[in-house]
Amino acid sequence: MNKRIAAILFLALALSAGAFGQKKVDLKIAWWGSQVRHEATIKVIELYQRLNPNVSITYEFAGFDDYWTKMTTMAAGGQLPDVMQQDYSRIAEWQKRGLLEPLDPFVADRTLKLGGVAKPVLDSGTLDKKLYALSLGSNSYCMMLDVDAFKKAGVPLPAQDWTWADLERIAMQLHAKLGIWGVGGGFEVDELAWKANYLGLGQTMYTPDGKALAYKDDKALVDFLHMMLRLVKAGAAPSYQEYLANLGGATGNVQLDAIVTGKSAIEAVWSNQVITVATAAGAGRNFAVVHLPRHKKGGMASNFMKPSMFFSVTSQSKNKAEAAKFIDFWTNDVEANKILNAERGVPVDASVRAALKEIVSPVVKLGFEYIDRVAKDAAPTPPPEPAGHANIRQNVYVPIIREQVFYGVISPEEAAKQLREKAAAILAGK
Amino acid sequence: MANVRRRKDEAAGYLFIGPWLFGFLVLTLLPILASLWLSFTDYDILSPPRWAGLKNFGTMFLADPRYWRSAAATLYYAACAVPLRLGVALGVAMLLNKNRRGVAAFRALYYAPSVVGDSIAVAVMWRQIFGGEGLLNSLLRLAGLPGKRLWLADPRFAIWTLILLAAWQFGSAMLIFLAGLKQIPGELYESASIDGAGPARKFLRITLPMLTPIIFFNLVMQMINGLIVFTPALVITDGKPLDTTNFYALYLYRRAFETFQMGYGSAMAWVLMAAVALLSALVFKSSSRWVFYESESA
Repeated sequence: MNKRIAAILFLALALSAGAFGQKKVDLKIAWWGSQVRHEATIKVIELYQRLNPNVSITYEFAGFDDYWTKMTTMAAGGQLPDVMQQDYSRIAEWQKRGLLEPLDPFVADRTLKLGGVAKPVLDSGTLDKKLYALSLGSNSYCMMLDVDAFKKAGVPLPAQDWTWADLERIAMQLHAKLGIWGVGGGFEVDELAWKANYLGLGQTMYTPDGKALAYKDDKALVDFLHMMLRLVKAGAAPSYQEYLANLGGATGNVQLDAIVTGKSAIEAVWSNQVITVATAAGAGRNFAVVHLPRHKKGGMASNFMKPSMFFSVTSQSKNKAEAAKFIDFWTNDVEANKILNAERGVPVDASVRAALKEIVSPVVKLGFEYIDRVAKDAAPTPPPEPAGHANIRQNVYVPIIREQVFYGVISPEEAAKQLREKAAAILAGK
Repeated sequence: MANVRRRKDEAAGYLFIGPWLFGFLVLTLLPILASLWLSFTDYDILSPPRWAGLKNFGTMFLADPRYWRSAAATLYYAACAVPLRLGVALGVAMLLNKNRRGVAAFRALYYAPSVVGDSIAVAVMWRQIFGGEGLLNSLLRLAGLPGKRLWLADPRFAIWTLILLAAWQFGSAMLIFLAGLKQIPGELYESASIDGAGPARKFLRITLPMLTPIIFFNLVMQMINGLIVFTPALVITDGKPLDTTNFYALYLYRRAFETFQMGYGSAMAWVLMAAVALLSALVFKSSSRWVFYESESA
């Protein structure tokens, strides 16, 4: 009898030792994004927890602006999550403040296996010769075209090396034939009218040290704004008022997007967003994805290859190795990437990419093929934006270029001049 | 002996207000003082603050046209929304002051918009009403009018959608007016009736003067609320178009938490506090000329 009790006790002890043998790990992960991304990410987190029962993951997500508000306040309070999504335009600043952990030790001990990741991709997250962030996908700005609308209007789809003049002509044609807008709202956004516009001339907005503006001539920006004003006036592009009031311009609601509702046939989006827009548009619609227009036919591309976003381990994390292990799963696991569906951009690991290429939906494939084309035909990647960029964008570019020009308060010439003066003052630290 | 007892009472008193006192000192006073210091620095949260002297104030007053646009928009909003809200509140309070059947239900009904008050849900609803394809335009079209105006994106009208929202949320001011109306002795109206005064005269000569302490209280409270308005502009108009609804508190928030200029945001906050204090002081000062307390001899 005593023997039996002893045996049971022993068994219980052994069982509990087994259960406690694996240390319990709490991880916190944070990202920004849309609803599509939130759902996919949460599914991958659940998958990871099933495969690693000792890990319990909490998470936080928000839209882009709110995300940075949250993360910055958390950083000040020493409360940063273990794994945080990072952006190309912010990473330098966060690294400089010592908030990110170098990943090299985890690469060395193979917690994080990066054998299938190309060097330029690793370089994009490398600062001061250390890897601080791993790109989650390759991305490039693109023009998304409503193929059905083009067919209906009898307008041929533009070629890869189409020009801004082509864009204007095609938008006018689409408007004339179909009565819809040729292009959707918000083309005067800084990424397009300012950054891509000058990239196509082989120039950048900022100098490499981020202390001054690099482009010397306002003409390209002024010309772009005049083109948009002509399109708006002709009814081939929505007015800024329309964009704010009806197209989700103020709320970022993709359901209201002009190409989603069929009110326009050309939309400028990041290639990883094609899936979000197409999903919102619903089944039965056909889209194509093409390079941004350039200044001269056969000239330099206005596109550049951008790491869509990164995962970083923060220096405030208490479980850095476990955090790296999660990033490894994210990068190399085919099942996880099937769920993620390349919504954060085309996966960086070669074997994952190959496995996905076979099975992804036609819409996701659009993005894959587009990124392949951009890889061969792109402007050189500009340096990350300097620390003052957010301030310039929010307090100078948006109120002056987007609002005052398109409400007709000031001319494009005057706006470009003001932008130059005010941006220069901010960059110089005045 | 008496001294000891008194000290004991004091100690007990402090013990009772202790939790509040702690909260006030640590969670309110300390951050307020910290923000005063921060207003003289450059601070982006991620790196330690750097002393900047009066730079933030200089930029604000001399080199930031958006600052003045936001200040002007806020004053315009407060100047329109506060009288409108008080007027509506008083009007409804007078209607609900009658002793009819079901008046309690109406009181609850009219108070409801203020309960949901600053909520996001109301703001989203407001967006729907005034959107390009919204309720208002649909009604206008039903009435045979064009109904095409983009209210939220039109620099002339966007702020008025927010002012209307403020007028609609009159509940708390209404309740206070209602309590005030109940305090006015019925004999005053009776004797006025006997002397042959009509409703308008009774309102001007009895109701308004007797209510002045309440009006004064409501005016101060609503003015402060109006000057720090935030949520509706954030959700309904996003501060657009052309900064016509970029209210002071919203702009302050954007500077502090979107472009992470905490020093600049703190400086803005202190100027706002000074402005609110100054305006309140002016209202208080003027009150001796128009506020009538019953305890005074007329």
